[in-house]
Amino acid sequence: MEELATEKEAEESHRQDSVSLLTFILLLTLTILTIWLFKHRRVRFLHETGLAMIYGLIVGVILRYGTPATSGRDKSLSCTQEDRAFSTLLVNVSGKFFEYTLKGEISPGKLNSVEQNDMLRKVTFDPEVFFNILLPPIIFHAGYSLKKRHFFRNLGSILAYAFLGTAVSCFIIGNLMYGVVKLMKIVGQLSDKFYYTDCLFFGAIISATDPVTVLAIFNELHADVDLYALLFGESVLNDAVAIVLSSSIVAYQPAGLNTHAFDAAAFFKSVGIFLGIFSGSFTMGSVTGVVTALISFLTKFTKLHCFPLLETALFFLMSWSTFLLAEACGFTGVVAVLFCGITQAHYTYNNLSVESRSRTKQLFEVLHFLAENFIFSYMGLALFTFQKHVFSPIFIIGAFVAIFLGRAAHIYPLSFFLNLGRRHKIGWNFQHMMMFSGLRGAMAFALAIRDTASYARQMMFTTTLLIVFFTVWIIGGGTTPMLSWLNIRVGVEEPSEEDQNEHRWQYFRVGVDPDQDPPPNNDSFQVLQGDGPDSVGGNRTKQESAWIFRLWYSFDHNYLKPTLTHSGPPLTTTLPSWCGLLARCLTSPQVYDNQEPLREEDSDFILTEGDLTLTYGDSTVTANGSSGSHTASTSLEGGRRTKSSAEEMLERDLGMGDQKVSSRGTPLVFPLQENA
Amino acid sequence: MKIMQTQTEIMTFDPEIFFNVLLPPIIFHAGYSLKKKHFFQNLGSILTYAFLGTAISCIIIGLIVYGFVKAMIYVGQLKNGDFHFTDCLFFGSLMSATDPVTVLAIFHELHVDPDLYTLLFGESVFNDAVAIVLTYSISIYSPKENPNAFDTAAFFQSVGNFLGIFTGSFAMGSAYAVVTALLTKFTKLCEFPMLETGLFFLLSWSAFLSAEAAGLTGIVAVLFCGVTQAHYTYNNLSSDSKTRTKQLFEFMNFLAENVIFCYMGLALFTFQNHIFNAPFILGAFLAIFVARACNIYPLSFLLNLGRKQRIPWNFQHMMMFSGLRGAIAFALAIRNTESQPKQMMFTTTLLLVFFTVWVFGGGTTPMLTWLQIRVGVDLDENPKEEPSSHQEANNSDKSVTKAESARLFRMWYGFDHKYLKPILTHSGPPLTSTLPEWCGPLSRLLTSPQAYGEQLKEDDADCIVNQDELAMTFQEQTSIPCSPSPGPVVDQKASPQTPSKENIYEGDLGLGGYELKLEQTLGQSQMN
Repeated sequence: MEELATEKEAEESHRQDSVSLLTFILLLTLTILTIWLFKHRRVRFLHETGLAMIYGLIVGVILRYGTPATSGRDKSLSCTQEDRAFSTLLVNVSGKFFEYTLKGEISPGKLNSVEQNDMLRKVTFDPEVFFNILLPPIIFHAGYSLKKRHFFRNLGSILAYAFLGTAVSCFIIGNLMYGVVKLMKIVGQLSDKFYYTDCLFFGAIISATDPVTVLAIFNELHADVDLYALLFGESVLNDAVAIVLSSSIVAYQPAGLNTHAFDAAAFFKSVGIFLGIFSGSFTMGSVTGVVTALISFLTKFTKLHCFPLLETALFFLMSWSTFLLAEACGFTGVVAVLFCGITQAHYTYNNLSVESRSRTKQLFEVLHFLAENFIFSYMGLALFTFQKHVFSPIFIIGAFVAIFLGRAAHIYPLSFFLNLGRRHKIGWNFQHMMMFSGLRGAMAFALAIRDTASYARQMMFTTTLLIVFFTVWIIGGGTTPMLSWLNIRVGVEEPSEEDQNEHRWQYFRVGVDPDQDPPPNNDSFQVLQGDGPDSVGGNRTKQESAWIFRLWYSFDHNYLKPTLTHSGPPLTTTLPSWCGLLARCLTSPQVYDNQEPLREEDSDFILTEGDLTLTYGDSTVTANGSSGSHTASTSLEGGRRTKSSAEEMLERDLGMGDQKVSSRGTPLVFPLQENA
Repeated sequence: MKIMQTQTEIMTFDPEIFFNVLLPPIIFHAGYSLKKKHFFQNLGSILTYAFLGTAISCIIIGLIVYGFVKAMIYVGQLKNGDFHFTDCLFFGSLMSATDPVTVLAIFHELHVDPDLYTLLFGESVFNDAVAIVLTYSISIYSPKENPNAFDTAAFFQSVGNFLGIFTGSFAMGSAYAVVTALLTKFTKLCEFPMLETGLFFLLSWSAFLSAEAAGLTGIVAVLFCGVTQAHYTYNNLSSDSKTRTKQLFEFMNFLAENVIFCYMGLALFTFQNHIFNAPFILGAFLAIFVARACNIYPLSFLLNLGRKQRIPWNFQHMMMFSGLRGAIAFALAIRNTESQPKQMMFTTTLLLVFFTVWVFGGGTTPMLTWLQIRVGVDLDENPKEEPSSHQEANNSDKSVTKAESARLFRMWYGFDHKYLKPILTHSGPPLTSTLPEWCGPLSRLLTSPQAYGEQLKEDDADCIVNQDELAMTFQEQTSIPCSPSPGPVVDQKASPQTPSKENIYEGDLGLGGYELKLEQTLGQSQMN
C-alpha cells in the first residue's frame, strides 16, 4: 500500500508538472495570436516580448491570489552528523527508503516562508533551465544571424562598445549603486549586508542590454542599417561580456580576513579569470564552428549535402555540443555558443546545401522565438510568484538613475573617441538613439535569477525585474516617436525596379542565397563603375576599418575561406608554392571551376575594404585591367543601393528569401538580353 | 570504480524522459506523415490489424510466456509466486508494439508496393497507441481479494479503463487539432510563417500536456492530433509553413529516434539490474513469432473475405516478417523496472529489440526478393494516370473501390468531405451548398471565401477522388481551368533536390501539391 501511495504521489506531481507547462504553452499560444493581430493591424507600440510579459503578469496574479494555499507537508529534520549538504539523500522513513534531492539552502529566517502552495512551487523553474535550455538557442540565433556586411564593416566600433562600454557601464553602475547603498545605510533602509562586490555584480548583470524590441521596430521600419548593425552587434557581444564579467566578479575572493576589501592580487586574478574564460569560450566556440565547417566541407566529397536532414542534424548537434563541451570544461557555454554561431554563419553556412540553409535558419528561428517569449512570460509570472522579493524604493530609483547614467557615460565618450578614428561618423542622432535603446532583457533576468540566496541578490533580482519591465514597455513603446523625433532615416528607399532586376538576376545566377549581397558579376559591375566619384568611396571605406581588421580580412579571404568553404580563390594561388601539395588537397575542386567570384558569396563585404580590391580586381574585372585601389570599390550609388538592399537582406536572411527567388525566377531567365 | 559508478548513474536517464520528451515527436511525426491516399483506402484493414491484432498478440504472448514461466518454476529456475499471469500479459502487451522503422526505410528506398507500405506503416503506428493503453490498463488491473486471480469485475473495469483512456486521448488529440485548424483558417496567420509554425508546434504540444494533465495518455493524444493536423490543418497552412512544420518534425523525429536507439545500446551495459534468464528469453522469442503469425494470417484471411483487392500471400509473409520491436517496447519496458519479473522483462525486451532490428532489418532486402514483392513501384504512377484515364476507368474503378471500403467508411468520407473539410479548411465544396437550407447563415459564416472561388486548391482531392461516390466532384475540378496556386511554387523548387527515394515519405507532405498540379495540367491538356 505504501508503494501505491508514493506512486500516486508521483503521478500527481507529474500531472501538476504537465499543468504548469501547459499554462506556459497556452500563454505562448495566446501571445502568438495577439501578436498576429498586432502585426496585422500594424500596431507597433507593444512588442511581442512586452505582450508575453503582460500575459505572464495576469497569470501570475491569478496564481498568486486565485489558488488556495495547500497545507504544508514539509517537515524539518535536523541532522548534525555531517557538515555539508548532499545532492541526494536517502531517508529511512519507518523502514522504507525514499530518495530526496537537494534544492538549495534556505536562510534560517526564511524557514517559514518556504512556498506552501504546490501550484506556485511548480511554476517556479530551476534557474539553470534558463542557462541550459532557453538562452543557448536565443544566443546562437543571434550569432547565426550576424552574418551581415554592415556588421563586419563596423566591427571595430561594435567591439569597442561591447568590451570597453560594458566595462565602463559596469563600473559606473556599480559605483553609483554603492553610493545608493551607503545612503540607504544612513537612512536605515538596509536590513542586511550589501558589499561593494555586490554592487559591481549588479553593474555587470544590468550591463547586458537586449534591445529586441527596438531592433524589431527598426527592422519593420527599415531604419538605417548602420545603426541597426551597431545596436545589434553591441547587444549580442554585450551579453557575452556581461556573463563572463559577472562570473568573474563572483569569483573575486580576496585572500585576507576582510573578504570584501580591495585586494590587488585577487583583482588581477579576477581579471585573469575573465580573460581566461572569455578566450576559452571563444576558442571553443570557433573551433567547433571550424570543425563543423571542415566536416561539411570534407563531406562535400561524400555528398552529405544530398541529405539535408542529416546535414541539419549534424549542424545542430555540433552547435549543441559546443555548449555542452564548454560547460563541461568550466567555460561559459552561452559565450561559446555565440561564437560558434558566428563562425558557423561565416564558414559552415557556405558549405551547406540550399535546403539545409533554410532548414537551419528556420529551425533556430523557431527555437529562438519560442525561447524568448517563454522567458519574457516567465518574467511576468515571476513578479508575483517569486517568493523572496525585496522591494526597496530607494535602491530601485537609484538603479534607474544609475543605468541611464551608465549608458550615457558609455555611449557618448566612446562614440566621441570612435568618431576620431571613423570617417563615417556616428551622428548625434545615432548616439541619442543608442543611448535610448538601452533596454534590458532576458540575459539580465537570467543572470539575476541565477543566484537569489542572499538578501542583496534578492533585492537585485527584484530591481532587475522592474527595470526590464519598465524598459521594455516604456522605451520599447517609445521607439517609433523617438525615431521620428531624432530624424533618423526610416524606410530607407527600396531598391528601384532596375536594381531589383539586377539583384534577382544575380541571385538567380548564384542560385544560392539572397541574404548576402550579390557579388557583382561582370556586366552589372561595369555599369556600377561607370558613374560616381570612386575615389571618395574608396577613401571612406579605407579609413573606416582599422589596419588590424584589414589584415584579418585578407587572411580570412586568402586562407581561411578557401580552406573551410568552397568559395574564395583557390589555395594553390594564395599559398606560397612550397606548400603546393597541401594546398591542392585542401582546395575543393569547385573552386577551380568557378573562380569567378560569382560563387564567392562573401566577396562583397571584403570588396568594400579598399585594399582588398587587388584580389577582387584580378579575379573579376580582368577586362578592366587596372587594379588600383579605387577601381573596384563600389561607387556612391552602388553603396546606397547595397545599403538599401540590406534591409531586404535582414528579412531574407530569415527564410523568406528563397521563396522570392523561386517565384521571380521564371521571368528572368534571360536578363542578359534585356540589359543589352 | 566509484567514479565509474557515478558515471553510469549519470548516463541513466529517468525513464519518464522517454515518454515526455523523446517519444512524442516520434509519434507525432508518424501521425503527421500518415496523410496518404493508400492509408485511407486501407483504413479498415489497418484498424483491424492494429486493434484486434494487438489484442490477439498480447494474449497469445502472455499465454505462451506464462507456460514457460510455469515450466521454469517446475524446473526450479524461478521461485513460485513471483511471476503472475498479469505480469505475463503485461509483457505480452508491451511486446505487441511493433516498430518496423528499418523495414519501412528499406521499403522507402526500394519503392516497394505502396499498399504493403501503408498496411505496415499504419499498423505499426496505431499498434503503438493500442499497446501503450493496453499496458497501462493491464498494470492497473487489481482484483479485490486475491490480487492475481481472475476477477470479472476488475477485468471489466480494466476493459472500461482501456476504452475510456483510448477514446479520451483520441478526443483530446483531435480537439486540439481541430482548434488549430479553425485558428489557422479564420486568422490570416499565414502572412507570418514563423508565427504559424510556432502556433502549430505549441498547440500540438499542448495536446500532449493536457492529455497528461487529465490523466490520459499523452502519446496517443499526440498521435491522433498528428493525424488530424495532417488531414485538416495542413491544408490551411501557408506553403512556407508546410515545409517548415514538416522539416521541424522530421528533424525532431530523427534526433529522438537515434537518441533512443543509442540509449538502448548503452542500457545493455549500464543498466544495473539486468536479469538474463535463458529459458525466458527463448520463450519470449518463440512467443513473439507465434503471436505475430496468429495475428497476421487469420486476420488477413478474414479481411480477404471482405476485400476486393486481396492481401496476397507474399504480403502476409512480409508482414509476418516485419514484426520488429523498437522504441515503444523499450520505453514501456524501462518505465517500471522495480520488481524482479519487470527486470527480467526489460532484459528480454532489450535483447529482442536488438535481435529483430539487426537480423530482420538486415534480412529485409533478401526477403523481398525471395517473396517476389514488386519493388521499384513509382508511387506517383497511380495518381498520375488517374485523371486522364479516369473517365474510362471510372466504371471498373467504382466496383473495386466500392467493395473495398466498407459502408461505414464511405459514410465517413462523405461526411468528412461535405461538412468537416469545408468547416475546417479552405477546400471542399462551400458549406452553403452542402448544408440544408435552414442553417444558411451559419454555413455562410463558416465557409471561407476561397471555397467559392477556387476549389482547385484542394490538396487532398486525390485521396477523396478514389472514393467512387465523390468522383464527380473531382471531374468538376479538373475541368475548371487551373489558377496558379501558391502551393507548388516552393515544391517545384524543392523537388529537384529531394532525391526520388524520399518521394513517398516526403511525397505526402508537400510534394503532394506538386503532383496534384502536374495532374491538373495533364488533365487540362487532355481536355484541350
